[in-house]
Amino acid sequence: MFTIALKDIKQYFKDKTAVFLSLLLPIALITIFALMYGGIGESEKSRPINLLFSDQDKTDLSQEVFSTLDAEDGLKLEATSYEEAETLIKKGKRTAVLVLYKGFQDSVEAGKKIPMELFYDEAKEIEMGLLQQALWSNLFGITMKKGIKGKVNTWIKDKNPDLSDSELEDIQAQVAEQFDGFNNSEEQSEMEENSELPMTALVGEKKNGNLGLVQAIAGIAIMMLLFSVSASGASLLKEKEDGTFRRLLIAPVSPSGILYGKMLSTLFMAVLQLTVMFLYSWLALGLDIFINLPALILMILCAAIACSSFGIFMASVCKSRKQVESLSTLIILVISAIGGSMMPLFFMPAIMKKLAVISVNYWAMEGFFDIFWRQLPLIDILPKMIILLGIGAVLTTISVISFRRNLLKMV
Amino acid sequence: MLVAKNLSKSYKEVKALTDVNLNIQKGELYGMLGPNGAGKTTTISILSSLLKPDEGEIFYEEKSLYQNLTECKRLIGVVPQEIALYEDLTASENLNFWGTMYGIRGKQLQNKCDELLEFLGLSDRKNHKVKTYSGGMKRRINIAAALLHDPKIVFMDEPTVGIDPQSRNLIFEVIEELHSRGLTMIYTTHYMEEAERLCDRIGIIDEGRIIAEGSLDELKANSSIKEEIHLKYSNPNKNGLDQLIDRYEGQLIVNENHLVLSSSQANAELPELIQRCSQSELLLDKIDIRSLSLESIFLELTGKSLRD
Repeated sequence: MFTIALKDIKQYFKDKTAVFLSLLLPIALITIFALMYGGIGESEKSRPINLLFSDQDKTDLSQEVFSTLDAEDGLKLEATSYEEAETLIKKGKRTAVLVLYKGFQDSVEAGKKIPMELFYDEAKEIEMGLLQQALWSNLFGITMKKGIKGKVNTWIKDKNPDLSDSELEDIQAQVAEQFDGFNNSEEQSEMEENSELPMTALVGEKKNGNLGLVQAIAGIAIMMLLFSVSASGASLLKEKEDGTFRRLLIAPVSPSGILYGKMLSTLFMAVLQLTVMFLYSWLALGLDIFINLPALILMILCAAIACSSFGIFMASVCKSRKQVESLSTLIILVISAIGGSMMPLFFMPAIMKKLAVISVNYWAMEGFFDIFWRQLPLIDILPKMIILLGIGAVLTTISVISFRRNLLKMV
Repeated sequence: MLVAKNLSKSYKEVKALTDVNLNIQKGELYGMLGPNGAGKTTTISILSSLLKPDEGEIFYEEKSLYQNLTECKRLIGVVPQEIALYEDLTASENLNFWGTMYGIRGKQLQNKCDELLEFLGLSDRKNHKVKTYSGGMKRRINIAAALLHDPKIVFMDEPTVGIDPQSRNLIFEVIEELHSRGLTMIYTTHYMEEAERLCDRIGIIDEGRIIAEGSLDELKANSSIKEEIHLKYSNPNKNGLDQLIDRYEGQLIVNENHLVLSSSQANAELPELIQRCSQSELLLDKIDIRSLSLESIFLELTGKSLRD
């Protein structure tokens, strides 16, 4: 019994790379999940929410609103036109835009219904919750104060049309001093009604599925695809172990030809797997895959190219199937975690959102979100497709170089 | 057909081949005999373009291998030592795949596959997965995969390793048939019986060098040993055997219950040998004087047995 145990332990330590990876994997996962759940860098200030601000009133009061909101810790304001804001939100680049329409100051001062509106992306529920909280406390404070002042002014002027401006300012100052004592529930209720902020979803209104479904399908599909393609890429190493690779090299075909052949079969399987996953999602889960079919087909192809090149990359840099299994599990779990396959990115801290761009999962998922959630036209999804193709090209180039370099070791 | 000049190859510090020269004639069956690790597979790997030698040149039909790689590859068929087949595919599927790799397609490929399956006695199992085959059947398909493109020269790297005597005989018959059809072959083995039975010419290889070459008769004629004394004993006695090994160092091959003494004058040496066996308390059952075998020649040349 002990002899067998000792033999197994000896064998385990023989493959130093596998030992290293088996220890590295849990360490990497612990680190990533700690980052995701905020266990690391607690002292780090949370990233402020970017709020677009479209000032169509351009008055002192609208500027005051901008300054007050911008001074808020949890908010970072960006002044922009409504049209530009709408594009940014629809493309998923920003969460919301606060629009102050013409007549904003006049309405506040007159105590009338305030012409303002918040447009947002329904996909970003968590950010919207935080945003509403920040807006409510600040915006309501300003408009309420100004609204009361306006109402008081109007009342005083009505009753005393002969009052000079300086006399009126004195009265206002005294009213302001007494403002804390204001407790007229009827008035307050009217003010609140006038300060109500209408909210309109720019993205998500016309959706046929739901956000969670798109997240689940795109996230899991890409993560599982990465596992499949790394297994498929590892078949190159199985050929080496079985001796068929030597036979292939003896045949009148170039080594690169063998690699490209493997890539092609891996790509085919990747396309097939994604296609089946989306067909299943359509039939069983009700995802409308016909919402933009050409974009979906192209996106599947681009994601499959990026993922299959990852499989070949793993096969060309590893020396054994055991190494591929350990290393690919590590990498796939890491890039899936930071890319949003396991958990939506808006749950994650700022650093994870920045890291996400190195993950193939991120770009593929963003592409699928563009198609199913944001429902963008093909032209707006193209950059993500190009990035995926770029990832594929880089990994393929490294694979070819590494494959040629390691060829002798494979014989 | 094949000329190899001064092939040398090292793996880091280890010299795998040193100045190997070969000149294989068309239709010849050349045996490369040597123990495990002697350099047989390295030689085959270099000749089949799988490895590049550190030094040396190779010519097929007077064309340089490295300057006419694709053309030369088409002349070569290799039966690797391992079963280099896809076990989850059927015999037919395997042959179709390997044929396609050499550019054979369609009806021509189909006919060639059928012909080879028939020749190797596997027609009735052609649609079964290779993993369901016996070791001998796999070996035969392994050979078939190397013959699909009608190569001019075939390298067979220990094609009978790990199979039963019956399957081995079947493979010998296949090789003899291919030889009779005029196919040029290089056959590596560490079984002297195979080399003796099959090969026109034999190269004895040890520690990466070809130390002797010629037909079996030529090798025997060049040896100072003329005969072998075979002794069969029934009581294995380690001390006794050790005494004999010391006395006949470099001359004695010890097998289970069987000793072989290489001798230039068997009749003269026999009385002393019997006396020493008696002193070593070995009970002899049978004594034979036989003509010289390759094993004794190998022992004479290297001081070690082929099985070492």
